[in-house]
Amino acid sequence: MSDNLLKLLKGELKRLMKYNILQISFAVALLWIAVIFLIGREQATTFVPLFIFMDAALMTVLYVGANLFYEKQENTLKTLLITPSGYVAVLASKIIAAVYLALQSSVIISLAAFFLFDVQLDFLALYSAVVLIAFAHAALGFSFAIVSRDFNGLIAAVGLYMIFLAFPSIFFAFGLIPERFEAVMLLSPTHASMMLIDASFGKTVALWTVLVSTAYLAALAAGLLLFFIGPKYRENAVRE
Amino acid sequence: MGVPIFSVRDLRFTYRKSRVAAVKGIDFDVVEGEIFGLLGPSGAGKSTTQKILTRLFKTYEGTIEYFGKDLKAYGNAFYEDIGVGFELPVHFSKLTGLENMRFFSELYKKRADIETLLDAVGLLEDKDRPVADYSKGMKMRLNFVRALLNEPRVLFLDEVTNGLDPGNARIIKDLIKDFRARGGTAFLTTHLMNDVEELCDRVAFIREGEIVETASPRELKIKHGRRELRVETFENGETKMHVFPLEGLGENKDFLALLKTASIETMHSGETSLDEIFIKVTGVAGDVR
Repeated sequence: MSDNLLKLLKGELKRLMKYNILQISFAVALLWIAVIFLIGREQATTFVPLFIFMDAALMTVLYVGANLFYEKQENTLKTLLITPSGYVAVLASKIIAAVYLALQSSVIISLAAFFLFDVQLDFLALYSAVVLIAFAHAALGFSFAIVSRDFNGLIAAVGLYMIFLAFPSIFFAFGLIPERFEAVMLLSPTHASMMLIDASFGKTVALWTVLVSTAYLAALAAGLLLFFIGPKYRENAVRE
Repeated sequence: MGVPIFSVRDLRFTYRKSRVAAVKGIDFDVVEGEIFGLLGPSGAGKSTTQKILTRLFKTYEGTIEYFGKDLKAYGNAFYEDIGVGFELPVHFSKLTGLENMRFFSELYKKRADIETLLDAVGLLEDKDRPVADYSKGMKMRLNFVRALLNEPRVLFLDEVTNGLDPGNARIIKDLIKDFRARGGTAFLTTHLMNDVEELCDRVAFIREGEIVETASPRELKIKHGRRELRVETFENGETKMHVFPLEGLGENKDFLALLKTASIETMHSGETSLDEIFIKVTGVAGDVR
């Protein structure tokens, strides 16, 4: 499987280039850097984690979901299933490509934050968190695409996810939601993601929060892949 | 009959969320070196059957043996053996034709020469154009190349000449015949009776999930045709039709007299067309091209 996984991954990365997704992601990262210039160095510590969170979590959900719909439309999901690669390698290649995309953005933004705006951060902790967050949100993206009838349904699902789970985390980050609700907030994958990113930027996050967030995101991704995406992927790809 | 590649027994399949079975206990064999056609109207169960044989659907009932071994016992290596030509284009539209074929080809151990295949279907000159710029006919020809990339032993072809003009359909049909001549086996699903007549060694008609008849096109024509000879003659400024039974034709005095005296315009046996058989057996009109 590993041999074909590498070939599939090479194909995914080539298509990221051909479909201009890598270039767009790079441009968005530059846009975030421009925004940091505009809002000023003092606010950078508050906003840089938020921008990285948006790229690693929300953009990953949208990218993976849209990619799945687009490939279904081109019938390439189906034709990949009749190769010796197996659907596990196909899924893995798509997840790794999504994680790579998120990592590219976070590397650009974090390096700019560190060198241009003196934002202090633990690079290893940040990139580890981004890998986990993108992995969990790639699984969420697959799940949303599988349950959605069409692309509009996917957009609606992502919209609902943002309203009910992402926005409360952002409000919490700005102190609009009291801290006593933190334990409940951790039920949200977006909040668990924010906590891991905040911790890598040296913000006060309890060790138990980091551990629970890490375990929760890992368990969420594994659970979705094993019990939902795995059994449904083939049926979804073949459905016309 | 030769060696069965696929032996299908009491195959049943029901789609999730459906109360009606799409395939209702069908039996057939596909023999090595033949082109086997599964024919039927839309929704009869032919594409479902093909998806089961290509292991895209795995939750079927009944047994399918591939070279004498349960199909479910095969791993992904099964796909080294088969090539599938889908009914719709299956390519990454922003990649070129060549980039698409290279990507898929690399996933197999055995690899045909891509440029030779592209040349055979008339796409070599367009290999570096994005597939998005291809016409539907070009995409369907690329589909056929995709199916042959791993030099398969068995080809599954679903409406393979769909959307092709007669010239390009001819190229594809000749390549299928060539594949058979080299020992390959093909499983064809279609509703185009001209393709069937030209390509298939044996056909099975499927109606509402059940196989209603299996035979060679010739056997079907004899079985469903009328055993008679129709002769059109031109007499006294008008065309006249004479019908004679095939039995005892050599001793039929009227027929022999007609041969000697009349100006014969046409002469046809009463064999029926596959299209008429399709309508008779399935109850639905097929397409003749």
